[in-house]
Amino acid sequence: MALAIRRSTSEVYGAAKWFIRRDCRVLSTLPEKAVEVPVETKQERPAVSRIRASARNPNLALRHVYPEFLPDPNPKWRNSLREKLERIDMLNRRKQIDIPEFYVGSILAVTVADPHAQGKTNRFVGICIERKGAGLRAEFTLRNVVDHQGVEVRYDLYDPTVHSIQVLRLEKRLDEKLLYLRDALPEYSTFPFDMDPEILPDGTPVPVNPVQVKLKPRPWLERWERQELQGVSNIEEHLKEKDRVRRELRKEPWEKYDLMKQYRRTIPIEDQNDIWAEVNHQLKQLQLTRKKVSRKRTFGVPKTQLG
Amino acid sequence: MNQAEVSKLVSKLRINVPPTHRKLRSPKGPEGRIDKLRKTVTGLVKFERIELNYNRADEARQYTERLISEAIRHGDCHKPTMDTANFWLLEKELIHKLFKVLVPRYETSNSSYTRLINAPKPQYGRNIDKVVLELKGNPFPDLINNNTNNKLLIQNVLLDAAKQDYRQSKINEIAKNIGKTENAPLNESSKKPEAPEKPVES
Repeated sequence: MALAIRRSTSEVYGAAKWFIRRDCRVLSTLPEKAVEVPVETKQERPAVSRIRASARNPNLALRHVYPEFLPDPNPKWRNSLREKLERIDMLNRRKQIDIPEFYVGSILAVTVADPHAQGKTNRFVGICIERKGAGLRAEFTLRNVVDHQGVEVRYDLYDPTVHSIQVLRLEKRLDEKLLYLRDALPEYSTFPFDMDPEILPDGTPVPVNPVQVKLKPRPWLERWERQELQGVSNIEEHLKEKDRVRRELRKEPWEKYDLMKQYRRTIPIEDQNDIWAEVNHQLKQLQLTRKKVSRKRTFGVPKTQLG
Repeated sequence: MNQAEVSKLVSKLRINVPPTHRKLRSPKGPEGRIDKLRKTVTGLVKFERIELNYNRADEARQYTERLISEAIRHGDCHKPTMDTANFWLLEKELIHKLFKVLVPRYETSNSSYTRLINAPKPQYGRNIDKVVLELKGNPFPDLINNNTNNKLLIQNVLLDAAKQDYRQSKINEIAKNIGKTENAPLNESSKKPEAPEKPVES
């Protein structure tokens, strides 16, 4: 009973309150107050530019490690079907042998089948002075000095006669091509054939070797003074006044602003994204299996030497 | 036997890029070519619509597109992009225009930033292709009018006038014939028997 009364009183009170308020509002000449709705300030999203979004793809970092997966930028030699087939072939080849990450300036040991002796192999150690070509035609050149004689061997990266490619020292140099080692003192391109591989800990960036070589006196194979080389120390010693004048005349300071020249030399981001999306998964798988294999090797049970 | 350069990343242009560059004739050689293109690019960014020869317009168009796409990608806090803009835009106030006006304008667009439209050639003289090169979204009236229903189009004005003329002439004809039609049935009835009868087929 008490409950009922309490409720009824409260209802009556509420009704009276409502009525009074209503009444007052009716009687008053003041306009009804507009209910203030808190205006939600819309957080304006920064306009998403396609160009910026596509450049943020993390797969693009693969281009430094696997540059040969990008096709030749010359549109006369582009063929999307051929490029795709080549990429499949390259991945298949990479399943057969371990083609490691290396750069111009790294020291490699390559073992190839000897064409003149059945079942035998040749091993060559040298510094990589040049990487060229795209797709299955990718190649690299190793240079070494053997018995005071400079030797260079050009290998195809995907050649089926290559048995193994081993990186003995993974590093970069200051220049994109080290062809000037041909005119440098032989000590800069001499590497022992029994070099032990130097192992870098996982996750470290590839070190850059800042060594500057000394060139032999002229004649040279190329006009090195005009190429703005970083890795040569004594180039000014061998120049005459005439060479310096001509170097000044031949300079092309506008070339670095030639936007279309840059464009024609590269594969645009959007095209690269398609390519890396296609091969990224398989490349990662290959890396994983290689790690597993290498771990097994390190922790393998030593075989008994008996019997 | 080339490998794609990987040190620089560029975003794809939305226009057709010919496989090689065009040589624009100049006594200064390649430097002169770049100078010519710098002038044209500056003019295009300044006036937003220019008329010029096809060869130079097509080359300058590619450079403008690249400049705008670089500006969109890197913004104005990127030193190399700023240097490039400084090189290509000869009037320095246009650098502000590039980053503050053109970049917001084209940021979200999915097509090219410029338009190349054929212009009429002079009837006599050297037969050189003339084109109009313009930035999209410029404040000028459209050059291509796709709206054929517009009453004020010169073709529509002429057609309307022709229709009006035709109608007027018809009305005049009818008005002339009003008087004649009253007498006509008489003449026709008198003439009719004279007309040769058609042979009846049996």
